[in-house]
Parts: sequence; structure tokens; C-alpha cells
Amino acid sequence: MNTAGNAATAAVNRFGLGAKPGELASVRDPREWLLAQVSRGPDGGPFFAGLPSSLDYLREEAQLAMTRREIKQGGRRAFLFGAMQAAPPDDGDANAEALKRALQPYREEERQQLLAEAAARYRVAVTTDTPFVERLVHFWSNHFAVSVDKHPARLLAAPMEREAIRPHVTGRFADMLLAVETHPAMLLYLDNARSVGPNSPLGRRIQARLARKGDADEGKAGGLNENLGREVMELHTVGVNAGYTQADVTEFSRALTGWSIPFPRDFANGNVPASAFVFRVNAHEPGSRRVMGRTFSEGGFEQGRAILAFLARQPATAKHLSLQLARHFVSDDPPPSLVERMARSYLDHDTDLAAVYRTLVESPEAWGGAARKFRTPQDFVIASLRAAQIDVGDRPQPVLGLLMNMGEPLFDPRSPAGFPDSSANWIDPDALWKRVQAAEALSARVAELNTQPFALAQDILGPLLDEDTAQAIRRAESTRQAHATLFACPAFQWRA
Amino acid sequence: MLTRRQFLANSAMGAATLLIWPKLTFAATGSDTRFLFVLLRGGLDGLESVPPYGDPGYQQIRGALALSPSAQKPAHKLDNVFALHPSFDYAAQLYAQGQFMPVVAAAPPYWGRSHFQAQNCVENGTAKPDGAQTGWLNRCIACMPGVDGLALAAVMPLTMRGPAKVETWSPPLPTEVNPILLQRLQPLYAADARLAAPFARAIAQQNDSPVPENALKPGAGTMAMGKPGNKKQGGLPLMMGAAGGFMGKSDGPRVAFVEDDGWDTHANEAAIVTRKIVELDAGLKAFHQAIGPIWNRTIVIVATEFGRTAHINGTGGTDHGTGGSMFLAGGALRGGRVAGNWPGIGAGELYQDRDVHATTDFRSVFKGVLAAHLGMPESLLESKVFPGSAAAEPMEGLVAASRVAA
Repeated sequence: MNTAGNAATAAVNRFGLGAKPGELASVRDPREWLLAQVSRGPDGGPFFAGLPSSLDYLREEAQLAMTRREIKQGGRRAFLFGAMQAAPPDDGDANAEALKRALQPYREEERQQLLAEAAARYRVAVTTDTPFVERLVHFWSNHFAVSVDKHPARLLAAPMEREAIRPHVTGRFADMLLAVETHPAMLLYLDNARSVGPNSPLGRRIQARLARKGDADEGKAGGLNENLGREVMELHTVGVNAGYTQADVTEFSRALTGWSIPFPRDFANGNVPASAFVFRVNAHEPGSRRVMGRTFSEGGFEQGRAILAFLARQPATAKHLSLQLARHFVSDDPPPSLVERMARSYLDHDTDLAAVYRTLVESPEAWGGAARKFRTPQDFVIASLRAAQIDVGDRPQPVLGLLMNMGEPLFDPRSPAGFPDSSANWIDPDALWKRVQAAEALSARVAELNTQPFALAQDILGPLLDEDTAQAIRRAESTRQAHATLFACPAFQWRA
Repeated sequence: MLTRRQFLANSAMGAATLLIWPKLTFAATGSDTRFLFVLLRGGLDGLESVPPYGDPGYQQIRGALALSPSAQKPAHKLDNVFALHPSFDYAAQLYAQGQFMPVVAAAPPYWGRSHFQAQNCVENGTAKPDGAQTGWLNRCIACMPGVDGLALAAVMPLTMRGPAKVETWSPPLPTEVNPILLQRLQPLYAADARLAAPFARAIAQQNDSPVPENALKPGAGTMAMGKPGNKKQGGLPLMMGAAGGFMGKSDGPRVAFVEDDGWDTHANEAAIVTRKIVELDAGLKAFHQAIGPIWNRTIVIVATEFGRTAHINGTGGTDHGTGGSMFLAGGALRGGRVAGNWPGIGAGELYQDRDVHATTDFRSVFKGVLAAHLGMPESLLESKVFPGSAAAEPMEGLVAASRVAA
């Protein structure tokens, strides 16, 4: 069994998204092939044109919230009126029905938009000529994971990738970090949108009100929320072992108070917000903050921005990000020498990611015999679609269904830590069985004019196509079974 | 053409079928008991699932939604205060045999009424939503040498994340796999050092599926039905039945996890709760039937992240509350009674004038089962599984001594 491959297969599979027909043969100098993609930057593609912005989505949500409130208030009145007469239990039901009916168009619109976002994402992945950069987009998107199982974030995860990740994928990490932490998807997902400094004007008002009432009310009680502050440090920048304390997390979270989004009432008042990020000075905790040994003077929004810039440039961040990148592109346990070299490059070039990628690509460790990765479900699905050039079209449901059933649903890792990135998390019996099933399902979608499965296998696997696998594909009873064999064979499961 | 089963039975691979679960050593952890944890996401209403019909405040507060053993659709009477929702037919039978037990007025230590944060606490086993990045059930398994865990979910849930080896299982795709394809793949995988063993086990697992073939057909996460956000993959009867199938083998996993959603009843609650309890009740039955005789060595805990408001809202539903109900079942349970301390729901008795008060910390129940049923030493319970939970003492007397002694 040959899974060693060579530099070209590594460039196409391990660094890229799996070969398109003709791609492997086109790679003359694998390092040059990758670095040229970094110079070109992310694929804008025609597929993203016309998709709504985060601000558009927030406006839609505001409209939905208003409709919901109107109906609920109307319903409550109707219910109370009924209760005074004979307490007919059906009033609640009737009202729930009315609510369902009224919200139906919104839900359908939302469904269509989620599908359109997913379709665009996978059409780019299947067709792109810069698959290394596209893999980096997916990598950073998972690094800054937003999970759509948290309802308020569900519409915004895909736009965050388009608006905050993609533009900075070959730029400075510090810029990407700021774009992500000011994006409404992250501010909603990690609860910062409603985090209020206890000594801010708003915080004081809330406390006075609570003191009068003598208790707290769900969701309305303003207060400091440390979720974003903690995850920025633990997951996004310095990493959990960087030596920071609970006091650092609290101080940083205080600095982030006021980092928020336009709320429904902001749209209702006719003041159409200009941006999907709102700094609420009223909710911002006053005073200077001390984080990881450095004091940051009061300065409203600038204070939090300065702390992010500081965190982005920490050696611990350089090491944390370099380890994750090396683990993603080289092996589950990448050589420490490689990680150190990448981290140095990151710091020497003021968080410039292109420089880090160049160091990675130019390091001998990245091309060693031990370098290989197991394809995650998404890697597997994209590689299959690319190999056979299966057009997702505007119906991504089958792809989304496969990803869900294989355990890597789009934007739904259920944790801010994102999906895991080592083989042990993806190789288990149930996962391998589903992979064979998925190969069968995908083979049914290969266009009928694709009648040369063996030639295709040679084209996309190159030296990875060992004699036994070649024979299994040649002997398949139909072209469809040959394609299924190609997708399901062990050589296809590795980024080697 | 051969069916998959025939093919496997005839092939060399079928003859050399590997066991799905490796042999476990039970010596380290006492008798070979089993534990299933079921998490109902969304917040099940305790006043609807275990109606306190004997509480003088109940009829008044619930009005038309109030349930009772004397209603037209009678709830199952448990004692002079509590009943079970009318749809809990199977659970009521188990109760009569001492194998089912509600715990009333229970909650995780977090009382903040957010689904996300409350579920995090139920799963990470701490009092804070971000109190741990691993799950208590995984940490429990990590303390039991030689024991494997199984999460019946496509994505590993927080409850089961952590250092211990836990596998996932979810219903297979509806796509049929051509047996000839498997035949061709087998030698290829056998030659891949890293994939050979898991692939062989995958084949064995199919040969020995825990779920009846017909149960997998309808709605089992079909490819065409895959939609963003749609996590429906078979529902409780299928997943609990599968859990029983795996756990019912003599060398099956001792600890497993099942989850379900759709319990968030802000509107039209009566109909939704009825439908969902029918599913849960069928799930208990499917689990009992599938696990077979090992039921006598098994305890199941069913929990939800919070109870709901005592009052009905304007849309015939209830909003996020605090104290709710938990359920325990199993042949090893000392059930047939209602556990927990009822705080009452009359004037001045509600928490913040809106929710049923919580008088039992979930962790007391978890610790009680882990200690008495799985033999977990108290020192590990406090240091590893539920750190910072000293105030929540293990609930005593949960295990039926006579049945476990066997």
C-alpha cells in the first residue's frame, strides 16, 4: 500500500483540497505552486455575488422579532380576554398557529438564504484554482468557530467567513482577529453583544432597577459576560497554557464591554445602522485595564482594540497558531522545529500570515515521509466533488446531509473550540462505514459522461494509486461502482 | 445479488467477525453494571411531566393545562401528590415494578435560564457554563480503567468529550452498500496499517447491527432530507433502542449517552409535550427490550436543562424556568417512589415568583448513581468527575440491593 506519495500529491492533497482533473499533472514545482496561490489571495469567485451582508441579515432578524412581538402581544390580549369568559384552552393553540403562519415566510426565506450561503461555499471549494488558500479559509473559519446550534448566530456564521476571514486570509492575523471579534456572529455567539460594564451608565441604571425589584430577570439583567474574553485568550490567541489568570480574563472582558451589534430596536427607531458592529459607549466599563502585565488606558473602543493588538503579537499566540497550522498541514504531532520556525516568522513579520505560510511551505519538515493527515468528513466530501467535478449547483442539501451524518455539519461544531484536527477524532468504525456509504451516494451523482473512472483515478491519485487499488477500480462492475471504489478506497482517505 | 447479510455470512470476513467492543476487565470497577444518560434538550416542563395534582396550588396555577388522575384523560397516579403524564404508559408499568422513579424539583447548579448555558452545566458537570471543556460522563469513564463509552450522536456531545476513549454511533445513511464493493475494499483496507482494525470492526458492526433493519428506514437522516440545522436522526425510540442493542451485549459498552431535542414548549405546550413524552416512553420501552436481561444491571437517568415557568404564558406554553423533573429507570433501580423534596407552588413558594424552586442539585443524583451503581469512589467523584460539588452530596438509596447482588 502506497500512501507516501510525493511532493506534488502532498501539495494537491495535504495543502490543497484534493485534485481536480488535470491539477496534479499541472504541478511542476509544488512549493512554487502553493506560494503563487498565496500571492494571488482568496478566490472571490462569482459565487458570492449577491449574497446578503451581515447587516442585511440583522435587519431581517429585527423585522422577524417585531412581527413575533406584535403577534404575541395580540395573542396575549386575546388569551386574557378568553380567560375572563370561559378560559378556552384553545386560544393559546390558535395563537401559536397564527404565530407559525405569520413566521412561515421568514423561515422559508431564512432557509433559502442558508442554502444559498452553503451552495456558494462548496461551489467555490469544488472549482477554485487556489485550493491552498481555500483550505486556509476553512482552517481559520474553524479556528474562529461559531456554532449555529446557538440560534442567534445561525444566519451569521457564513457571512463571518466571507466578511472577516476571507479578506484577511493572506494578510495580518492581527487584522483578521479584529475583524472576527467585531463581527456580529462572534459577538452573538460568545454573548458579548449584551455584556454590560457594572460601572457603565447602563450598568448603573440596571443595578438601580434590580435593587428596586429585588431580583434579576432572565436575559434582561445586564452584567459582565466573560465568554468572549475567555475564548479570545484560550482559543483565538495565546492559548490555555499561556499563564494568564482569571483576573486577566475579567479585565479583558471589561475592556470588551460595549462591543455589540445593532439590536432590533435600533432598526425600529428609523436610525438605520451603518455597520453590523456597534460600540455602545453607554455599556462600556470605564477605567484603565491591566491584562497580562500590561496596562491599557481608558479609550472606549480603542482600549479593547489595543488589547487585541497586544494579544495578537504575543509569543504565545505565535506558538499557538503555528502549532495549529502545522498540525493541520503536516501531521497530528508536527515537528517542534517547524513550529518554532513558523512562530519566529510570525513575530518577525508583525503577524503577517503570508510569511508564516511561506516558512511552512519552504521547511523540509513539511515534506517529510511522516507528513500526512486523515481526511475529515468535509475534506473527504470536497475531495470527492473536486475529483469528479460534481456541481453542487444551487441545491447543496445532499452535501449538507452527508456532512451532518458524517459528524462534521457545516458551521455546527457545537463548541467554540471548533472541530478537532487530529486523526484519532475521525477514525472510528462508525465513521469508516459512513464513508463507504457516502462514497456510494456520491458516485450516484457523477455525471454520466464521466466514463473513464480508471483514467480519473490515475489523474487524481497519481503515484498514490497502488496496484491493488488500480485493479479494484478496473474490475468494478460499472462506472458508478468504479467511482464508489475510488472515493471509498483507503488511498483516497489520506491527505498524503 | 446477495444481500449484505448473506454476503457477510458467507465471506471469510464474516467468519472472522470481530467483536464490536473489546473484552473489558471488570475487576477494576466492581460488578458489570450499565449506565445510560439521556439528555432532553430544550427544557421539559416538570409540572406537565410529573403533575403535582395533590398540591392545592396546582389546579389554580395551571388551569386548563392541569393534569390529574381523575381527568378525562387520566394521568398515572403515583401517590397522593404526584402523577405521571398520561402518555407515560410504559413508565407507569415500570413504576409499579419499582423500576422507574421521578425526581421532582431538580436542576443543575446553574439557574440562569439560558438553554445554552444550562446545557453546558448539565454536560460539563460544574456550576458554570464554561466551568470545564470536558464532560462529566467522559471524566467518569476516564476513572474506570478498561471501560469504553458510546455516544449515540453524529457529533460528539460535550457530555462525552474529554480524555477517555468514547466512540460515536448514529444511524447509517440510507444508501445501500454494494456487497461486491465491500469485498473489493476489504483487502485494500487490510493493507492500511492505521485503518485495518477500525474498518474490520465497521464491517463486524454492520454484520451485527444493534437496530432492527426496518427501524432504520423511515427518517433515519436521509441524504435528501439533510437541511442546515436539522439534527433529527431517528428520534428517541430508535436511538434508545440502539443504545440497548449495544449495551445488551455481554461485552457491550457500560456507559452510553443519548440526546434528543424539541422540548422547548413556549407555545401550544399540551400537544407538544404529549407527542414528546410518547417518544420518550417508547424510547424507554425500546431500550428495555433491546438490552434484555442486562436491564437488571442497568440504571438510566433522563435529564433536561431546566424546568419551566409555573404559570402558563400568553401562547398556551411556558417559558424558561428553574426546578424541573428528572427520571430514573432500570432493573437496578430502587424506584417505585417519587424522590426529591417538593417545595410547593403556592403563594410565596415559587422561585422569583415564577418558577418551581430547585431543591435537588442534578449532581447529587449523578453522584448517587455513579457511587452506588458504578462503584465510583467518592474521592474520584469529588476530585475528577464533579470538582467543586461537595455541597451536592450523593443521593442515597438509589440502587436496589437485591437485584444488583446477582
